[in-house]
Amino acid sequence: MSTADGTVLGNTQIYGGAPRNRAFNVVLLADGFTAAQQNAFDTACTSFVNAFIGTPPFDELGPAINIFRVNVTSTDSGADDPVAGGGTGATARTYFDSSFGGNNIRRLLLCNNTTALQVAAAQVPEFTVVLVVVNSTIYGGSGGGVGTYSLANGATEIGIHEMGHTAFGLADEYAYYAGGNETGHDHHPAGEPSEPNVTTNTDRNTLKWRWAVASTTAIPTMSNPACGQEDTRPSPVPTGTVGLFEGAHYYHCGGFRPEYDCKMRALSVPFCRVCRQVIWNRIGPLATLQARARTPISVVARYPEHLDVFAVANNGRTMSNWWDQSTGWAGFFHVQGGFAAPGGSGSPVTSISRFSGHLDLFTVGTDNRVYSCWWDVTSGWHPWFRIGTLQCRPGSTVNVVSRYTNHLDLFTTASDGRIMSTWWHEGAGWANWFHVMSGVAANGATVTAIARYGSHLDVFTVGTDNRVWSCWWDDRSGWRAWFPIGGQVCRSDSTVTAVARFPDQIDLFTTASDGKIMSTWWNVRGGWAGWFQVSGGVASPGSPVTAIARYTGHLDLFVIGTDNRIDSTWWHEGGGWANWFNVSGGVGQSGGQVAAISRVADHIDLFTVGSNGVVYSTWWDVNGGWAGWFGLGVS
Amino acid sequence: MDEITQPMPTLAMRLIFEYDGDQVRLVSQSPVDLSITGFDLARTERAGYYVDTRDGAGQTLARVPARGAFSTSAEVFPEQPGEPISRVEVAHPKGAFTVVVPAPSGADSVSVVRVAADAPGAVRPVARATSVEAGGGLEVTDIAKFALQISR
Repeated sequence: MSTADGTVLGNTQIYGGAPRNRAFNVVLLADGFTAAQQNAFDTACTSFVNAFIGTPPFDELGPAINIFRVNVTSTDSGADDPVAGGGTGATARTYFDSSFGGNNIRRLLLCNNTTALQVAAAQVPEFTVVLVVVNSTIYGGSGGGVGTYSLANGATEIGIHEMGHTAFGLADEYAYYAGGNETGHDHHPAGEPSEPNVTTNTDRNTLKWRWAVASTTAIPTMSNPACGQEDTRPSPVPTGTVGLFEGAHYYHCGGFRPEYDCKMRALSVPFCRVCRQVIWNRIGPLATLQARARTPISVVARYPEHLDVFAVANNGRTMSNWWDQSTGWAGFFHVQGGFAAPGGSGSPVTSISRFSGHLDLFTVGTDNRVYSCWWDVTSGWHPWFRIGTLQCRPGSTVNVVSRYTNHLDLFTTASDGRIMSTWWHEGAGWANWFHVMSGVAANGATVTAIARYGSHLDVFTVGTDNRVWSCWWDDRSGWRAWFPIGGQVCRSDSTVTAVARFPDQIDLFTTASDGKIMSTWWNVRGGWAGWFQVSGGVASPGSPVTAIARYTGHLDLFVIGTDNRIDSTWWHEGGGWANWFNVSGGVGQSGGQVAAISRVADHIDLFTVGSNGVVYSTWWDVNGGWAGWFGLGVS
Repeated sequence: MDEITQPMPTLAMRLIFEYDGDQVRLVSQSPVDLSITGFDLARTERAGYYVDTRDGAGQTLARVPARGAFSTSAEVFPEQPGEPISRVEVAHPKGAFTVVVPAPSGADSVSVVRVAADAPGAVRPVARATSVEAGGGLEVTDIAKFALQISR
C-alpha cells in the first residue's frame, strides 16, 4: 500500500483557461482506480466540475479557475475498510493508501497526504488545492492539507466544504462539536475568532460583517434560549438574510454566524453571503480590475517600501491593491463590501495614512452620504461607517488632510454645492459637519486642502463663477473668508491641485474653460502670482492635473491630454518647465485622472484607468527612466 | 492601452511539510511560477499557524498562513442531508501541508510559526521552540526553521 502499488499516468486540464500562474488551480487525484477503471475517474471528475462550477460564487469566478485531473492507477480497486471502523475488513493496495475508518469512524476517509501533495506538485506545480477522489461507493471524506471524498452520492460536497477551510480560511459554522448532545460546548470561549465568518461580537457597529447587514435586521437575529443544546428552530427571517445567528464555531451559544444556513454549516446548501465574499476576495485578486473610467485613484505610501492603492470598480465596488517590496502586488480585493456613488466622474475612495500601521478611507456611498473605514496593522479592516448625515452631491469627492497624527480634516460638497467640513480628533471622535465660510462650489468641482503646518489649513475650489477661490484656517485666528485667486476662468468641474514644496510656498494647478493647463503660486514673500499656461499643455475635458514634489526644487505634473494620451512635464528650480511628453506610450480615458506618488525622491509610481477600462501602473526611476505600463493585478 | 510589460515577479517557493505530533519536516522545496495574492499574505497578527520567509538576520520578510496544519480534530460528514457534521479529536496529529511563500532577495530561511493568544498560565510550546512577544497580546512561537535553497 504505497507508491509501489500504482503509476502516475499524467494530468489533463478539464476546466478553465486561465494562466496557471494567476489562477485558482484545483487538482483531482485518483486513488483506488485500476488501469481499467480510469474512465470511471474521468467521469467522477466531470461530475465534480459540474458541482463545483455550479456552486455560487464559483459560477461567477470561472475565468480565474482551472481544474486538472491526475490519472493514477492503483493495483487494487477501492480503499481499505477496516473492521475497527465498522467496515468490512477489505484491504486495497492503492497509490495514496486511502482508508476509511479514521479514528475508528467509517466515514472518515484518510490518505497519505504527503504523497498526494508531492504528486500534485510534480504534475501541476501551480496547484492551489488538492482533492483525492477515492473509488468507492462507501460514503466518506475528510479535510486538512488534502481533501478526500468517495464516489458515494453527495460526497463531492465534502470536497467543496473542505476547500472552504484550506483555500479560504473559513470556519465551521455548525453549533456543536459531536453532533449536538455533547457537553462542554454550551458557551463559546471569550475572544474573537480570527476567521471571517464567525464571531462572538454582538455589537452592530463593530460587527465584522456589518457591511452585509441591513439596518432593518435585528441584531442578534436569532438567539438560542437553551444553551445546553443546539437551537434547531427555523429561521425567523427570510432565507439569505444576513444578520447574527447564535450557534456557531462548535458552540451552542456565544458564537454567531452570518446567515441561518451556509455550506460551512451543512452540506448541500449554498455558501452564505459573507463566505461568498471571502471566496471572491481570494480568487478575484488574480484578475486585473475593470474600473470606473473617470473616477480618481488614490495611493498612499505608509512607508517607502509599501504602497496601498484604492480604486472604484466599474460596478461601484470599493477596491484596493497593495504592493510591498518583499512580496510584490497583492491583487485587488473588495474593501469591506463598500460601494461608491456614481454621478459626475464617480465618487473616489480617498485615503490617508496618519502613521505607518494605519489607513483611513473615505468615500460617498450610493446614498450620497459620507462613509469611512480604516485598517490597522493590529486589527485589520474595520467596516464602513457613516460620518454624520450630510447629503452630498452625487459623485462628490471627500478630501482628507491629517495635520498631525491624531487628527483628520475632511472637505466635500453638499447636494446644493455648499462646501462642507468636519474633523476627527482622537478621544473626541467626529464633529458635526459645518459650512465653510458660506462657500459654494461650482457643479462638479472638488474641494482640495493642504496643511502646510500642523496649525494651518489652505482650502481651494472652483466657485459658482468658475473662478478659483481659497480660504484658510489657522488655530489662532480660525477660518478666514473666501477670496478669489486672480481672474482665471475654469471648467466648472475642475479640480484645483495644490502642492506645498515647503511650508511657505503653494503651487496651484487647474484647467481653464478651454482645457488649458494653468498654474499659479503663492509664497510668503510675494503673495499670489498671476496664472500662466504650463508649457502649452491642454487637458482632455474634465481631466485633473496631478502634481507631486519629489523634493523642494522640483515638481512633476501628469494629465490625460486631449488625445487621451498620458502626458507629463516637470519643473526644476533654475531650469523652468520642460515640454510635455507622453509617458511610455500610455493612453487613458478622456477626462480621467493619473494618480502619482513618490515614495522615495528618485522614484515615481503612476496609476490610471487605461483606454480598455483596466487599471494600469508604471514607474519612473532615476536609474532606469520610465518603465512600460502594466495591468495592475497580482505580481 | 495595451499591456506592455509586467513588473518582475517575486520568486515564489512551494514548500511541502510533514508533521507528526510536534515534529515538523520539510519534505520538499521548489521554485514555482505563481502569483501570491494578498489573501495569502498575512498583514495583521492573527492566531494560527504560519510559515515565515526570513533573511539572514532573522527578520521576517513575508508570512503566509498554513491552513489545515497541525489540526487536532477531524470532521466527520453525514451521509444523509440534514444530519449534523461532527468533529472528533485526533489523539496524535499527523499529516502534511503545503504553502507557497514569497522568496524575495535576501531570503535565506523559512520558519514554521505559531501565533497564539498568550493566555495567563498557558502551557509553553514545545521544548525546541523559541518565542517572541508580538503586538496585541499575541505570542509568536518558532516551531521549526529550515534553510531555503534558492538558485537565482
